[in-house]
Amino acid sequence: MQHEGKEALLRTEGLTRRFGGLVAVSDVDFDILPGEILGLIGPNGAGKSTTFNLISGFYKPSAGKLTVFGENCTGKSPLTISRMGLVRTFQHGSLMPSMSVRDNILLGTIHGVRGAGKRRERAAETAEMLGLTPYLSEEAGTLPHGIQRLVSIGIAFAARPRLLCLDEPLTGLNQTEVANTLAVLEKIRDEHGCSVLLVEHNMKAVMKVCDRIVVLHHGQVLASGTPAEIRADKSVIEAYLGHRHAN
Amino acid sequence: MGENLKLPYWFFGIALVLGATLLVSDPYVASVVNIVSIAALIAVSLRFVMLIGELNFATAAFVGIGAYTAGSAITILEWPFLVALVLGGIVAALVSIVFGYITLRTKGPYFLLIGFAFTEAVRIVYSKSMVLGGNSGMVGIFPPIAFDPWMPTFVMAVVALMIFGLYLLERSDFGKILTAIRDNEDVARTVGLNILFVKIACFAIASFAAGMAGSLHAVTNNVISPGDFSFLLAAFALAYVKVGGEDNIVGPLVGAVLLVVLGSYALGLGGHEHIFYGAAVILAVLLMPEGITGLLRRGRDRLMGKGKRHAA
Repeated sequence: MQHEGKEALLRTEGLTRRFGGLVAVSDVDFDILPGEILGLIGPNGAGKSTTFNLISGFYKPSAGKLTVFGENCTGKSPLTISRMGLVRTFQHGSLMPSMSVRDNILLGTIHGVRGAGKRRERAAETAEMLGLTPYLSEEAGTLPHGIQRLVSIGIAFAARPRLLCLDEPLTGLNQTEVANTLAVLEKIRDEHGCSVLLVEHNMKAVMKVCDRIVVLHHGQVLASGTPAEIRADKSVIEAYLGHRHAN
Repeated sequence: MGENLKLPYWFFGIALVLGATLLVSDPYVASVVNIVSIAALIAVSLRFVMLIGELNFATAAFVGIGAYTAGSAITILEWPFLVALVLGGIVAALVSIVFGYITLRTKGPYFLLIGFAFTEAVRIVYSKSMVLGGNSGMVGIFPPIAFDPWMPTFVMAVVALMIFGLYLLERSDFGKILTAIRDNEDVARTVGLNILFVKIACFAIASFAAGMAGSLHAVTNNVISPGDFSFLLAAFALAYVKVGGEDNIVGPLVGAVLLVVLGSYALGLGGHEHIFYGAAVILAVLLMPEGITGLLRRGRDRLMGKGKRHAA
């Protein structure tokens, strides 16, 4: 599968995961392209988190194939996949609460950057980009929720991944914080050419920031396309968006 | 590193304690100085693994392995003193790499129990081994005669060097990974850090320090027996850490000095020194959950005004 000559950064083919008798994710195919923000949406229990855990190596697929940066990564460990340049965050507490914001972000640089001075430069640059500079010396666990969410993105982005996977980074944020985070994601895409996979419940935000959207429903891909296409898709409207959006 | 390492304090402190040991002439005081130094090193070793959030009761086993290695090297193999001393640390570290590779996949109470079981199993091995002297242990582990008058200074110097080394490691980026593992192992893993490898490295470094403490115990006590290295050794070390405070590497030092000195005083009174450990731990947990150093820091913060706590 080629998209306008672009090789996919990540491709799933027939990705399936069963938990005992329950099929959480079934035969899921999608691609993430260079330089795009891809939204992965779906109602609760649609299989978003399972898919997320499958592509980051935290779960092994029961069937199907996962290709990351052109390499077959089916069944590879989270460490192998993260070292290739796919970095993820977690839905809850994706940071080190007892450490300073500076050290949190620094942690993301340790594997990829040689030399203590260069790591600090990278961490400072990352903090600046996320607007976290005023909080550098604060203990991360004591900060407001919105700032903590940004710190989580900061840790992940400090590793300068090629593909940044964010698990519901907007949950619990107010409107200003959401706008702020979306601006950060656009900067990550536009200034660093890093692709972003965004698993999110906030539909308005997803529609605004994503280049393409994949909709999961009952563990399967219900639809995929641009936000405009998804908005117009009848099956999506029925399954997920509900009547308010349909009108 | 670039961070404030407080090096002048370290150099001044080390010079001060080394200078003080030169003034020691009474053999009883000399033995207390040795015991305090060794206890401090064991407590710092235990705390080093606490940085990754694990309570390492196998510390006692590695102290024993160091002691028996140094003891065997000196009395059986007749190797040079300094070689035997360092060998205790190296053998303890090597054994800990194998032990850690297998056990560091577990956490919390499971890891603690495995450490406890390992300590007791190793102790039984000594008591059953004829070469190692069985239940009565090994005797005649002497340092060269030339070392004799300098022993407290020598022991203190080795301990200070080890503790300073562990401090530098803790403050390095490696140390930050250790704290990150305690705080949130999954996040550390997602940014490309090999968690098991880092845990084993942390464990091996701590075990090297524990092994060195064992070597020093063997050459200062001259006699070792399996009973010296039961899990109680780790329990005492935990008491030093908790009473002194675990936030800072100085905590275990304060705890070790206080409890060992109190303990030897109690022995002089003919009392059971263990009562002091029990009482001190209970008081520390109830009155000073952050230990003595935590209490002092809070006092200082209050004097200097609020908001400076996170400045370091």
